[in-house]
Amino acid sequence: MTVTADLPLDLAPAVRRRAGARPAKPLREKGTALIGFATFAALVGFWFAASHFQWASPLFLPSPAEVATQLRIVAEDGYAGGTLVTHLGSSLWRIGMALALAIVIGVPLGLAMGMNRWVRGVFSVPIDLYWGLPPLAYLPLLIIWLGIDETSKVLLLTLATFAPVCFSAQAGVRSVPAERMNAARSLGAGRLQLFSTIILPSALPEILTGLRIAIGAGLATLVAAELIAARSGVGYMIMSAANFLATDIVFVGLIVIAALAFSLSTGMRWLERRLVPWKGKI
Amino acid sequence: MLQVREASVVFPASDGSDVQALDRVSLDLHKDSIVVAVGASGCGKSTLLNAVAGFLPLTEGSITLDGERIEGPGGDRGVVFQKDTLLPWASVLDNVALGLRYQGVAKRERHQQARELLGLVGLSEFGDKPPYELSGGMRQRVGIARALATDPKMLLMDEPFGALDSLTRETMQQLLARIWARTGKQVLFITHSIEEALLLGTMIVVMSPRPGRIVARFDADFVRDFANSGEIGPIVSQPRFVALREEIRALIHNPPVSKHGALQ
Ligand SMILES: Nc1ncnc2c1ncn2[C@@H]1O[C@H](COP(=O)(O)OP(=O)(O)OP(=O)(O)O)[C@@H](O)[C@H]1O
Ligand SMILES: [Mg+2]
Repeated sequence: MTVTADLPLDLAPAVRRRAGARPAKPLREKGTALIGFATFAALVGFWFAASHFQWASPLFLPSPAEVATQLRIVAEDGYAGGTLVTHLGSSLWRIGMALALAIVIGVPLGLAMGMNRWVRGVFSVPIDLYWGLPPLAYLPLLIIWLGIDETSKVLLLTLATFAPVCFSAQAGVRSVPAERMNAARSLGAGRLQLFSTIILPSALPEILTGLRIAIGAGLATLVAAELIAARSGVGYMIMSAANFLATDIVFVGLIVIAALAFSLSTGMRWLERRLVPWKGKI
Repeated sequence: MLQVREASVVFPASDGSDVQALDRVSLDLHKDSIVVAVGASGCGKSTLLNAVAGFLPLTEGSITLDGERIEGPGGDRGVVFQKDTLLPWASVLDNVALGLRYQGVAKRERHQQARELLGLVGLSEFGDKPPYELSGGMRQRVGIARALATDPKMLLMDEPFGALDSLTRETMQQLLARIWARTGKQVLFITHSIEEALLLGTMIVVMSPRPGRIVARFDADFVRDFANSGEIGPIVSQPRFVALREEIRALIHNPPVSKHGALQ
């Protein structure tokens, strides 16, 4: 190092002058929690009113109290061959396995597709082709090939969640600003260092966005697949109840799925705040 | 020493016609010199700097640094960009230390050096902040500190102060002059501002567009004065300064029509 000693620079005033300057708070940071909660309360209130005044027959619209009772019963004694926890457990296991596989395969493949023309050329057509299909359209084929047990469902969900993860990783790589890459290279970064210190962190926000989309697609496919072809799971529970017109248990299932979706998206938001607090800042 | 020899860059334009962004440009940068390129927009200043940085291949000609041909970007040429390119996920200190990290310098050691550089640019208290909490001028100083950290042979600066307000800009010019006087790094500096060029350059090259050429070179030494006094006013009002400024201004507005090389 030749540049070390302190220079008698009079920069302090400039620093002080500038220190107060902060960017305006982005729109998304303004809280909506209170508004959201009020809306939620209003919806529940409407439900109470609707069932109390019998705007719809109890067969179609059970009262909140009834649903709460059923929720307790299903949780304790079970329904359709399992307690609520075992149904929820099989659903979670399926989607968890699928997401894990989608991430483990999709992120590296997407990154490789973003960086290498050949990998991109080979994989983008097949992925584009199957991604256009609704997953339930190829579920029967998977069942013929793999049987009706867990393998076919996990594979189905993996396929449904893999494409968004993979494409977002690819888009993340493509979105790295050229200047950022050039800056790193002129600081002496090698290929591996470029990848680990520039490309991967730059792509992370997009990957997390892709994961969010994947979770949405995964949940939709999960429940639909369980409605059609399963012996356990929240979707299966709903379908069994519907066959006996047990509307209250259908409601229990829906509430459980809504709660699951809500906690997953809250978890994702937390993860984004933890991992990419700088998103949208530069 | 940096030697640019008959360097040409041709961009294939989208409509099929080619843009000759650099036309057989030759230039020597000696140790201890600040070469400033001025010229109208689109005359190839950035192209020249990007070629020296190694971001852009030459169509013809060669660029060598201390005898070695430049084939790509490297740690021997520190680049300061107009747009700041700091990493938003890393602290200011880690940003400054990035080049040292690439060299494999241990964390304690590189943080130590980065802290000293932050002191040099007057940002000692900001090491732990993320870059997006700094102002534009402060970020640009972090960019300079980052480029200096690996102790490169030369600094390449493409309109580094172009986006700053005039007060901050003067502070930054002063900073650069002092860093240069202290370290004697060779600098290739690009600017739109004739005044900035004269204030900072030991040599000013005037470029003209279509095709991008060097049409005139001027030696200057206002920067030594500036580095010592830190005062702009007395320098820019010197008759010699004013005369040069007007001469360059005239050259930029009415570039001489001439055969290649006639003015070089
Ligand atoms: N990637 C590119 N593809 C095609 N043409 C380009 C490209 N980059 C620059 N050019 C052209 O080359 C010429 C020189 O561009 P350059 O960016 O070097 O100009 P400049 O002197 O830096 O201008 P400014 O002062 O506005 O930054 C321009 O005519 C421009 O249109
Ligand atoms: Mg330019």
